[in-house]
Amino acid sequence: MSFREKSAWINLAVLLAVFGIYFGALVTGRVRHGLESLHLLLWCVGGFVVLQAALTAAAAMTTPGDGRGPLDERERLIQMQSESLGYRVLVWLVLGLFVPIHFGHSALDMANFGLLGLVIAGLVVAVAQIVMFRRGA
Amino acid sequence: MGLPIANQIRRLRFEQGEMTQSELAEKIGMTRQTVAAIEAGKYSPSLEAAFRIAHVFGASLDEVFQWTAERAG
Repeated sequence: MSFREKSAWINLAVLLAVFGIYFGALVTGRVRHGLESLHLLLWCVGGFVVLQAALTAAAAMTTPGDGRGPLDERERLIQMQSESLGYRVLVWLVLGLFVPIHFGHSALDMANFGLLGLVIAGLVVAVAQIVMFRRGA
Repeated sequence: MGLPIANQIRRLRFEQGEMTQSELAEKIGMTRQTVAAIEAGKYSPSLEAAFRIAHVFGASLDEVFQWTAERAG
């Protein structure tokens, strides 16, 4: 498995784990909206950064040679196509934000819907990259 | 249906003293996985990359890559 593919798997796993915790806590009511949810969000973002960095460093160490160079043409193509797909998903999700706002959701709810949209777009990018790497595209 | 470009990279690698995919990748500035994808016909390299590969083998582009009109669709 190439370093770039490992990075895609790491992105997918960390996004699911970290934001699964955040949104899970919100949905189940384990944290209340306001300072509690902000506190949890800051921990999650910090955890995301640290976990991502640590796992990426470990992946680089276990992938000799090809992980250290710049992206080659196929990797650039995969990155471009996956990010293009993620961007299109994000646009639709942002447009979708116009729905809940008409049902009286609070500004905090809208911010969380926006964050969820970003996370979903990130997941789409990661999954698309993994599929393209696996198919040898 | 596969890509419309076939190649002789695997045969040429073995004729060049059993060059590995990693060795070829290093010579042309790509990853081993990309070379594997090109060899398996799952990825069509750019023109520049195709020329680099041919140059490594000391062969012409035609000797390394073949256009298969039937698969072109």
